[in-house]
Amino acid sequence: MITLTNLSKIFRTELIETHALRDVTLQVNEGEFAALTGPSGSGKSTLLNILGTLESFDSGDYLLDGKSIKGLSDAALSQLRNEKIGFIFQSFNLIKDFSIYDNIELPLRYRGLKAAERKQRIEQALELVGLHARRDYLPAQLSGGQQQRVAIARAIAGRPRILLADEPTGNLDSLMARQVMELLEQINQQGCTILMVTHDPDQARRAGRNIQIIDGQLHDSTMYEPLATQSA
Amino acid sequence: MSLSLLLKVMLNRKIVTILLLLQLAITLALLLNSVLLAQQTHQQLNQPTGLELEDTLLVQLKPTTPQLRMYPLLEDLLQRQVRALQNIPGVIAAAYSNQAVITQGGNNGNIYDVDNEDRTNISSVPMYFVSPDFFKVLNVNVVQGELPQLSSYLDGDTQPGVILTQRLTERLFPGESVVGRQLNRGPVSAVISDFYGQRSAEDVMYNSIQVAPPYAVDWGYALMLRTAPGQAGAVREQLTTVLQTVEPNIEIYYIRSLAEQQRQLYRNEYGLASLLTILTALMLLVTMISSYSSAHFHVLKRQQEIGVKRALGASKRLIFIELLSESWLCTLIGAFLGIGCALILNQALAQVISIPSLNWWLPLITSAILLFSVTLATWYPATIATRVSPATATKAL
Amino acid sequence: MEQFIYYLKVSLLSIKRAPLPYALTVFILSVGLGVFFANATFYYQLNSDPLPGKSDKLFFPMTLTPYDCNDCRPPRILSYSNVQKLAASDIPSAQAAMYSSDGYARLTIDQPPTPVVIRITQRDFFQMFDVPLLHGSVWPDDNGHHQVILSRPMALKLFGRTAVVGESLLLDDRNFRIIGVLDEWQMLPRLYDANGRNHLTANEDIFLPLETGYDLNYLSKTNSQTFDDTDYRQLATEGRVGALHQLQYWVQLDTAAQQEDYQQYMQSLAEDEKAAGRHPAPINNQLVPMLGIVDYFGDDPGDIKAFALVTLLFLVVCLFNASHLALNRYLSNQYEFSLRRALGASRSQLQLQMLADVLLMTVFSLLGALFIGYAGVSLMNALLPQNSLFSTWDLTLITALILAAFTCSYLVTLYPSLRASFGSLNQQLKE
Ligand SMILES: Nc1ncnc2c1ncn2[C@@H]1O[C@H](COP(=O)(O)OP(=O)(O)O)[C@@H](O)[C@H]1O
Ligand SMILES: [Mg+2]
Repeated sequence: MITLTNLSKIFRTELIETHALRDVTLQVNEGEFAALTGPSGSGKSTLLNILGTLESFDSGDYLLDGKSIKGLSDAALSQLRNEKIGFIFQSFNLIKDFSIYDNIELPLRYRGLKAAERKQRIEQALELVGLHARRDYLPAQLSGGQQQRVAIARAIAGRPRILLADEPTGNLDSLMARQVMELLEQINQQGCTILMVTHDPDQARRAGRNIQIIDGQLHDSTMYEPLATQSA
Repeated sequence: MSLSLLLKVMLNRKIVTILLLLQLAITLALLLNSVLLAQQTHQQLNQPTGLELEDTLLVQLKPTTPQLRMYPLLEDLLQRQVRALQNIPGVIAAAYSNQAVITQGGNNGNIYDVDNEDRTNISSVPMYFVSPDFFKVLNVNVVQGELPQLSSYLDGDTQPGVILTQRLTERLFPGESVVGRQLNRGPVSAVISDFYGQRSAEDVMYNSIQVAPPYAVDWGYALMLRTAPGQAGAVREQLTTVLQTVEPNIEIYYIRSLAEQQRQLYRNEYGLASLLTILTALMLLVTMISSYSSAHFHVLKRQQEIGVKRALGASKRLIFIELLSESWLCTLIGAFLGIGCALILNQALAQVISIPSLNWWLPLITSAILLFSVTLATWYPATIATRVSPATATKAL
Repeated sequence: MEQFIYYLKVSLLSIKRAPLPYALTVFILSVGLGVFFANATFYYQLNSDPLPGKSDKLFFPMTLTPYDCNDCRPPRILSYSNVQKLAASDIPSAQAAMYSSDGYARLTIDQPPTPVVIRITQRDFFQMFDVPLLHGSVWPDDNGHHQVILSRPMALKLFGRTAVVGESLLLDDRNFRIIGVLDEWQMLPRLYDANGRNHLTANEDIFLPLETGYDLNYLSKTNSQTFDDTDYRQLATEGRVGALHQLQYWVQLDTAAQQEDYQQYMQSLAEDEKAAGRHPAPINNQLVPMLGIVDYFGDDPGDIKAFALVTLLFLVVCLFNASHLALNRYLSNQYEFSLRRALGASRSQLQLQMLADVLLMTVFSLLGALFIGYAGVSLMNALLPQNSLFSTWDLTLITALILAAFTCSYLVTLYPSLRASFGSLNQQLKE
């Protein structure tokens, strides 16, 4: 469902040019759980941002569901992000003035769903992450692990087909991290494609596929076990 | 963005929001009341006077020697002056009067129907003592009776006939025929159309006129003339010389068109309305600065948040509208409070000046003005907000 | 001291870093203060006490009402005969009746006449209102004299010098001898003449004895009313006995006892007159102190008061605004504050820094306010010219402005810097 061909990204500042990604070619299929690993500064976040259409690229192409995203308007890209892609960030990025419920609701509102539909989806998402009782709390009133679970709920409430997670457990202790991992696996089992940046070899091993980036180049792409399903 | 969410955000930023709301409310209150005052002044300046304001000139003057201020030299002086004025090309008619029209106060007294003193006694009705052409100068219509053709004397055996304006007639003799009726000032000889006399009178259109030279002019007197359309300027330039030639022992206080006379009369109101308007403009400017800076600061402080929203699928347009709606909501609440403040301020102002009370549509218009100014001021910061890249979300704090 | 200069430098540096928000803060504060100050100038001058220490001893008695009415006050101008009845009392330490008239003065008959305003009054006038005499003396008694007293500007205008006692002049072509010349004198507001807002106008040019004014039929230039068929042109005869009202009358009552006695005197006078059938209205005596006379007459148009209310509100808005702006500025600099605290700056050091900020803000906003205030006063003089005599700045006003600027700067700086300098506070108060 994701196809990158010879994709490059260069950051230009006044002083230097950074080739964050060079000639990346990648195919990710529906339902995969892929771990993205590599040293710091190698371009993992950049790749994830481009996949999530948060960032543009300089050359090459990116096909999402067979369609190139090049030349799409801001409105179209926003809609695409909103409907197909869910994000989980290292620093949770919950909106601090909003309650848990309101945070989860935000992307659903952007999509223009009816109130009843929103409510039902939020309830479901809260149920999944086990925070139903805290729905009216403010983010600052929750622990880090709980906040990240809210972020996951927010990401999946819109039922995206792709979930992009940039070091989702980077700010969490190991117990919390394990909970989050279990949650992600559970979501993957329901059919959602997941790409996750991680530094933890354990986590990388638990993912179905391990993509390594070094210095902006896809170095290796190992499949630990063959994919159950494979779609074009 | 939903209303409830916007409200929640505002409630979370209590202090800033309260400051902004208070200021918006006071601004609206001031805006409303200055518009009200400006409107009132405008109405006062545009109320009907029954006079040809542009083409009628008024000279206020006084003889500088005591003899010239009294009968008989005075009468001779008045006649010489009126004759000289009539001879100026472009002058249609000229007359003297013991006092000007469109004034604050002047020579006045009570007037009543002698058969009915209790019911009809009206105080402070202006008393004009004029030459026969006075009516021609003012270009008033005769409604009843006939105007006297010749001047008579106040000290004579019989009282000179009194000419009343219509509105005064209706007050004195409602629905009755009036010519020949006896007033304390003399018998009614004619009724003419209304004109603006003295502002401090019970009704500015109440006037009584007698065609007779004044006894004495210790407070000065007025010469009035009506010019052919467009000639007022040319005539005016000659007036001082002509009058000085007729009699050098005079002091001319001023020469004005009736339009200027009217503006002079409402100078205070005009001044206050102008000041309030300037103040309101300043206030709108201050509000705009504050909306601008608060929106700008908000954007700078919330880059991360905006980035997150963008990542969750908010388009640039949505971010833009969201920011504007925050301002709008604030402005609307402020305006709502402002209408309350405006009512209070209106009542407070009414204690010290005359100001009309609020109507229902003015708050709408002024709120719209406020909303427009705030929108204008928020526009640029909102544009900056749309430039925040969604990738900002992924940067660690 | 050296330390404080360092703090000032730091303040300047932080202004330099973000000049626009600072400039806007100062601008808003200046506008608020300037507009307020412009109006406060008029408000203060119009309500100032022209005779400090004495004004509470001067009263305007109003008692006899020559017509029937319910619940009405006695006329605000008195007739000659009523003044005589009041003057019969020897309770007041000083008393003077007065009115004003227009005339023309010249030295010889072939000179062009100069328009003059004449105050026609009695000898106690000068003592009662602390009128300074430069040359000569006032009239020896309250009888008629063909003697005038000139104001200093009028002496200079007519003669080109002030030592003109003993000279004569023509007033409305009658010959008068000059017996006195006043020193520089401007009583503002001129409260002895408050009827019809005349207290806002300048002092008179020539002073004439009351009896002479009546003898020569000088008519009042302001307000005169007849309540019977007295011919107002016959001041010398009918005007002295009939109900022709045109006089103001002031008495000096130094003690509370005197004031009480005088009230009593007015009461008996009114009762006598009532018994004599000359006072048909219910008795409603008024003994109005000088500082209350404008309010009592109530023909103040209230524009300055109205504007005072409005400019005060405006100042409040500007304060809100400026503190809002300053808050944003401080929050942007918060990092710096935290850093300084981390580096061990004590609370008092931070407070000194804040004081430096306040002082700078005071200086800038004071300059701005003076400029805007000056522009505002000029504008108000142009738009409301009748108050133009009351547009001067004195030391008290300027001091008040400096204090106001300091207070406002302090208020505007206080809250934001508190928030920026105390981290814990920072968390409690959501921005
Ligand atoms: N906005 C940016 N401007 C300039 N350089 C950037 C920007 N974002 C990332 N980079 C550079 O691109 C490279 C890749 O960064 P990133 O993708 O964040 O690495 P990773 O997530 O693997 O640690 C780094 O050298 C980083 O400095
Ligand atoms: Mg990264």
